[in-house]
Amino acid sequence: MKTFNQKIAITCIAVAVMTFSLVAAPNFANAKDIVKVAFIGPLTGGVSANGIGGRNSAELAVKVRNEDPAAKYTYEFVGMDDECKPNVGVQVATKIASDKRIVGAVAHYCSAVALSAVKIYHRFGLPVIVWGAVHPDVTYGNKFNEIFRVNGTMINQNETAAKFMTSNGYKKFVIINDTTDYGKAHKEYFSKFIVENGGEIIESFGVTADQQDFTAELTKIKKLDPEVIYFGGLTPVGVRIRSQMNKLGINAQFEGTSGLKSDAYIEGLGDLSEGTLSFIEGAPLEKLPGGEFFSSEYTKVGYDQAAESYGPFAYAAMNLLLDTIEEKGPNRKAVVKALNAPAEYDSIIGKIDFDDHGQNTVAAISKYVVQDGKWVLWEDSEYASGKRSLKK
Amino acid sequence: MDISLLAQFTVNGLMLGMMYALVAVGFTLFFGVLDIIVFSHGDVVMVGAFAALTGHYWLTGIYPDMSMWVELFFISCISIITVAAFGMIMAKTMILRLRSASPLNTLLATMMLGTVLREAVRLFFPGGSNPKPFPVLLPDISASFGDFTLRFDSVILFVLGALLIVSLHLLITKTKLGMAIRAVAQDEETARLMGVNFTLIVLITFAIGSAVAAFAGVMNGLYYNEINFGMGLLLGAIGFSAAIIGGLGNIYGAILGGFLFAGLQTLGAVAMPFASAYKDVFAFGVVILIMAWKPTGLIAEKTSERV
Amino acid sequence: MSTNTTNSLSGVLCSFAFAGVITALMTAIFIVESQLLIAGVLLGTIGAIVISSKFGVTSIILKSLGENENLSNALAVLVTLALIVIFYDDHYVLFILCTILLYSVTVLGLNIQLGYAGLINFSGAAFFGVGGYTAAVLSQYHSIPPILTLVIGGIIAAIVGSILLLPILRTSGHYSALVTLAFALLFKVFLDVNDSLGGAQGVDVGSFTLFGWDFGNDITIGSYDVSFYVPYVLASLVMLCVVFFFVRRIERSWIGLCLDSVRIDEVSSSCFGINIVRWKIVAFTIGNFVAGLSGALYASILGYISPANFSFGDSLMFLSILLLGGIGNLWGTIIATAIVVVLPEKFQVIQEYRLFIYSTLVLLMIVYRPVGLLPRKTRTYRPGESS
Repeated sequence: MKTFNQKIAITCIAVAVMTFSLVAAPNFANAKDIVKVAFIGPLTGGVSANGIGGRNSAELAVKVRNEDPAAKYTYEFVGMDDECKPNVGVQVATKIASDKRIVGAVAHYCSAVALSAVKIYHRFGLPVIVWGAVHPDVTYGNKFNEIFRVNGTMINQNETAAKFMTSNGYKKFVIINDTTDYGKAHKEYFSKFIVENGGEIIESFGVTADQQDFTAELTKIKKLDPEVIYFGGLTPVGVRIRSQMNKLGINAQFEGTSGLKSDAYIEGLGDLSEGTLSFIEGAPLEKLPGGEFFSSEYTKVGYDQAAESYGPFAYAAMNLLLDTIEEKGPNRKAVVKALNAPAEYDSIIGKIDFDDHGQNTVAAISKYVVQDGKWVLWEDSEYASGKRSLKK
Repeated sequence: MDISLLAQFTVNGLMLGMMYALVAVGFTLFFGVLDIIVFSHGDVVMVGAFAALTGHYWLTGIYPDMSMWVELFFISCISIITVAAFGMIMAKTMILRLRSASPLNTLLATMMLGTVLREAVRLFFPGGSNPKPFPVLLPDISASFGDFTLRFDSVILFVLGALLIVSLHLLITKTKLGMAIRAVAQDEETARLMGVNFTLIVLITFAIGSAVAAFAGVMNGLYYNEINFGMGLLLGAIGFSAAIIGGLGNIYGAILGGFLFAGLQTLGAVAMPFASAYKDVFAFGVVILIMAWKPTGLIAEKTSERV
Repeated sequence: MSTNTTNSLSGVLCSFAFAGVITALMTAIFIVESQLLIAGVLLGTIGAIVISSKFGVTSIILKSLGENENLSNALAVLVTLALIVIFYDDHYVLFILCTILLYSVTVLGLNIQLGYAGLINFSGAAFFGVGGYTAAVLSQYHSIPPILTLVIGGIIAAIVGSILLLPILRTSGHYSALVTLAFALLFKVFLDVNDSLGGAQGVDVGSFTLFGWDFGNDITIGSYDVSFYVPYVLASLVMLCVVFFFVRRIERSWIGLCLDSVRIDEVSSSCFGINIVRWKIVAFTIGNFVAGLSGALYASILGYISPANFSFGDSLMFLSILLLGGIGNLWGTIIATAIVVVLPEKFQVIQEYRLFIYSTLVLLMIVYRPVGLLPRKTRTYRPGESS
């Protein structure tokens, strides 16, 4: 009996030692404190390509930082899925915000989700930098100190878009928008700026985000004979509409918003995507000093999905968050305070300068057109030089 | 409303109706032989479309300048054979196993299977989370009459669909196999007594139903030139509705239901010019009304309840 | 092994021990973050269940729980209270607890419909949503007491459900499944395109206020900061207890007998003078009322609802909970809810593969254990009596 007890005791000690060494080993190996930062975006569902691109980019920022020996902390990356659904977003936001070890987050591609989640970040005092959602109310609809945004709003986007279109001689527009606040607000601002610039909105159609067949709407649109079809919504629906326009023989210029500018759009349409226009905030990546670095690092890690158009924003937002934590320490209040102080930051998306609502005011809007299966900056395209022409 | 617009709406509605009818036929076939609803059927359509796309990648990899028609033939075959095989495996491993359980179990299990298929394509098909372009394999010719554009490819697809339905009808009514399927549908035990191999007939029925779904998937791809992992969800729900409003277990009912539903959607969009987004609300509302009016579908099942 | 000599004292002890184990397990599951440990805890639990049922421990536990029903019900409440105390300041865990409790309430409602009267309802989430949207609209009027909001939510859900009564009564089987399925799809699209209720974006739901005390604020007791979710969890717990008691009473009364009889054989029921139409209406309406009731509270806790909360997929989730737990078994329902709510949450870390793994698991479960975790037993007329 005694030997049996001894055996048990020895086993217990062995197990305890092993457990301890397993738990303690990483701590000994790495003397730096571990700080958690979070990312939220749509990783499943129709716009998951953009979400995964953003997730990878934000993760890349953390990876690069962890490899930097000068960094004060080791960062742990927490990626979460909001499914582009407001209700899921609220849940995930609660989870992130109530986890006290998470110091800050880079969150939301979908405006609908961002709008519903901001008040939770405010309640829990979590600093959040929005990386993709463009609805103005995300920053301007509240007075929350905790909410910042590196990308511009749809107001700037639509103002540029409307000016550009009318100055190119287009007068008659039809709007198709999805029925979330994102789509509705795009419709509102675009209509406003088009009318100010002397254009005319003939008709607008609301569609749901999971609709597959648009022939009924497009048949009506064909009858209305617009010069431009403006689409306020995200890539999957945009692909369907553009492709069915062709089926019905509608020969209008197709124009999208920032939600359309993704590689998935071109991949989904092939040659049909030629000549589609899109407007997006931020200076073009390849023209910025850090852009090259980002692209090369991204390919080096070997992600199997592209960063997509908002990937650089997610990267810049995460970098800004990490910089602030490095400087002020892993404390939510300190980070919020530091980000609210007036300052200008350099990033791969250009200068970042937050106004009193936490909105980045550097609002360079880039115009893009699809040329030979690539989104090309308007100024560099053969459309601008007159070699090719948009539809009239 | 002028006549060309009306013609355009009619053509759109007919194409939509043909696709719904092809999906609904599957629902009604499966119900016939096993008295169950296989809700993953809509997602099987999606799998069919993706199988064809895989076939396209593979074939164009080997023979880059294959003629359109030959390729169309081959990718249709690839898709139909793969999906028919998949249907048989599904029936063997899952559906037949579930027979002793309540119909609700089958319904839920197949709904879950649908989710698994959808997620599997999204996660494991290269770039599956994005909409995929489907190759243009039909001549791009169209005739315009004012505002009405009649596309040659739509006509071909419609005729092919109609041919498929007619041959399915002939198969069920005129051949020995069809007789066996009908016998199993009517009374399983008696059919067994008459020497019908029940399991084999069930498997064959699933192969046929899934093959029709694969065709619907290819047709969907050719018509819209775009496929995505989520396309089967609503298609399944609509196919199910169509099969039921037509009357389960009856192929004509399924076809009628399919065209009726497409008609309702189109009507909803035309009749409510200011609110075309409500067209699905309208269509499903009418479905509920039809059920209140004809509780066993428009073409009622010919069964009498045994007391 | 002796089956009928378990004396009541050891039964009571056994029940207490089991409650302790459950509390510890739930605490462990909520605390553990690392994927490896979660997998360990889950596998350990499954292993423990398998081993203990091999040695007959499970049957002893089930027997001692069944022997003294009041005690086990009280223990379940105690377990929940213990979890609330343990996680008094962890907002997220408390929120998940609320979700488990309220989903259970809804599924209990569906249980009256499907488990007792045999009416399949594919729009459970729609009625849950009607309650939620009612709460959203009513929260604009601060003078309405919370309890009234909940009841109105339930009543409106029952009224909306009565639209479907005619087609449901006329149809049966898959045809009646279509009626509720069509309604579920219609409801979601309608909310999506209808601007007056917030459209696809959704609406804010104001928090409850009672005598000037806002449910949305954190509470400080002594030196402890208690999460604002605690009152909500308590409210959800009370609701679950009330509904559970109510459904149990229905099941054990002559009403339950009538409903069972309607489900099992309509023809012979009507031969015995049971009014089939009446009982179907009663079951359908009560079920929807309960769903609306819990929906109203859930929306107030969430503070924000959108049509995506109440899609056809969510209705399916409610039904799959019912099926996993074992149709007609109330305890099975609650356990299955806990699993279905917590499992995908814990899978959140595997991100995009979450839904895939979850649906595969449910699929395997249905194929290999079609009766659910705890199948409903044949009626026993004295608690604890083996059938």
